[in-house]
Amino acid sequence: MALFVAGLSHRNAPVELREQLAVDDDKVRELLRDVAATGVVREALILSTCNRVEVYAIADVPGEARTATFRQLCRHRGVEPASVETVLYTHADGEAVRHAFRVASSLDSMMIGEPQILGQVKNAFALAQSCETVGPALHTLFTQAFTVAKKVRTETEIARHAVSISFAAVELAKKIFAGLDGKAVLLVGAGKMSELAARHLIEQGAFPLYVANRTWARARELARALAGTAVPFDELATALAAVDIVITSTGAPEPVIRREFVQPLVHNRRGRPLFFIDIAVPRDVENSVNTLDGVYCYDIDDLKQVVDANIRERLREAHRAEALVEREVAKFLARLGDVEVIPTIVSLRERLEIIRSGEVKRTLARLPGATPETREAIEALSAAIVNKILHAPITKLRESSRAGSPRSWLELVHELFGLGRK
Amino acid sequence: MHQTLLTLAIIGYVAATGLALAYLVQRDELLHRLASLATLAAWVLHTSALVARAFELGRPPLASLPEAVSVAVWVVVLLEMWLERRYGLQVLGAFVLPVALAFSLQSTPMRPLIEPALSGAWVWVHIGLALVGIAAFVFNFAGALMYLLQERQLRAKRPGALYYTLPALATLDRLTYRTLALGFPFLTTGLLLGVIWAGAAWGSVFTFDPLALSSYVAWAVYAATLAGRAAGGWHGRRAAYFAIVGFVALVLTLGAGLLFPGKHGG
Repeated sequence: MALFVAGLSHRNAPVELREQLAVDDDKVRELLRDVAATGVVREALILSTCNRVEVYAIADVPGEARTATFRQLCRHRGVEPASVETVLYTHADGEAVRHAFRVASSLDSMMIGEPQILGQVKNAFALAQSCETVGPALHTLFTQAFTVAKKVRTETEIARHAVSISFAAVELAKKIFAGLDGKAVLLVGAGKMSELAARHLIEQGAFPLYVANRTWARARELARALAGTAVPFDELATALAAVDIVITSTGAPEPVIRREFVQPLVHNRRGRPLFFIDIAVPRDVENSVNTLDGVYCYDIDDLKQVVDANIRERLREAHRAEALVEREVAKFLARLGDVEVIPTIVSLRERLEIIRSGEVKRTLARLPGATPETREAIEALSAAIVNKILHAPITKLRESSRAGSPRSWLELVHELFGLGRK
Repeated sequence: MHQTLLTLAIIGYVAATGLALAYLVQRDELLHRLASLATLAAWVLHTSALVARAFELGRPPLASLPEAVSVAVWVVVLLEMWLERRYGLQVLGAFVLPVALAFSLQSTPMRPLIEPALSGAWVWVHIGLALVGIAAFVFNFAGALMYLLQERQLRAKRPGALYYTLPALATLDRLTYRTLALGFPFLTTGLLLGVIWAGAAWGSVFTFDPLALSSYVAWAVYAATLAGRAAGGWHGRRAAYFAIVGFVALVLTLGAGLLFPGKHGG
């Protein structure tokens, strides 16, 4: 009986194949029931996202189970099994545990640290539970995988820094203003990305929001959608005086916010910073405002630069996360292994203790004149001998269980020491 | 006894400073934990050195400037450990500990104590208040330094290690403002008491004493910054530059007191 994971992911399978094999929740349930019905697996879980399709299972003959499962999947999706075989990877035992931990912790994701994958794994787990294909082994594995994923998220910074332009802008705003509560925002022009950035700012407590657009109707519409106030485009300079953060994304060929608009504001702001997020190309804000005291201006390239730096940060943190996962895998395997061999170790110790104490008793009965020191020495001597003898077999049992093959060793120990059938 | 403990404490501060600076660059959590441990160990040694000294002297070790500076370092390190935990400012050590270390080095060769012409409780109040003021200005300086570094990162638009570890500009600006507002009254009252007492003890307020004279300069810089902040709306970069100038004046003050011992003893 062994744990294995078989599947394909963004690492080796082309998107055409992944989208062909991706299945929805209902299909997953159907597949799980079909696979369980074949009897080749004892437990099974199917994880299907746009980046990976994987089967985690416990089976007596992993190779057979793997083939059967993917045949089913290919049949369901009308895919030629041969095209899947070439990109399919399989990990067994310890490798499979590591894989499960890494996937749940988002270390195997296309964008390291992305938050969706943990939810997707949890969903897959719930689906398998509802189909009753989760047994004690997969239950232990996945509940631990969730714990590890949480630990990775809190103890490393793989998910900390923004990897999208709009979130990077929000993070920069926080580096300038600390909290965004009550910071006024002006949105100039309309666009998906600027609207998204505005929404993120509002979520972080920024308020109030003003919207300026050359088309008055569009300004009102956007203001309504974001619970803000529309301001006339000609009154841009006035609006500028009242806000802390400005997001611009007009289609104007020339900058709409010039240095001479901003310069007089600086004095009145009494040192309070002013932050321009210029998403427009060509740019809307004259770049030289960035040199004014307390004024910061980031254009789209600057934001991309920040995103790139953040991605490097995540990769840096990923090394730490990998080390953490590695430790967790070792701990998990040790625990799992010990659980299997502990009863044998305990009965082995008991058996030898009975022999030892019996023999000591008999010896002491023949030595009536023995001083307490002598008695103590005999006790200690016998205990030491037993411990020395036991050391090798116990170590061997633990090692074998960690290597995943304790069965024959367990039997051998039972036979040799006459522990009776387990 | 006291000397050995103090030397060990300084070795501890050296280690803590090195680790805190390494953490600033490497951002390895382990380095931060080691730095915190070294700081705590050094501070405990420092505490016992001060206690041992107090027993040797039979009075608080505050009567001469080197003694007072050593106590100031002790206060600064205590505050550093507290603020770091309280506000999660893990990088604070890298900016405060080097200053604390520099200050603590002055008292290593323990000079023979010149028994100063001390009398009355006023002197202790004078020293105590000035100490708190100096401690607050150490943090004022650290905050200003961090502000300028973070401001440069944000303006250069190339996020480096400091961008990630240093707090937000607004937080740092608040830190420098608060430490200034806290330290200034202490420094002012401390100086004022000193002046009054000097008049009484030395017969003249204007007796030549290098420390007294240069401390007026530091006071004037801080007074100007506080006025600028409160009334002129100074913020950010300008306030930070002034904080650094003020601190330099303060260090010169102490340096003058230590190198050219006047009436403050050396």
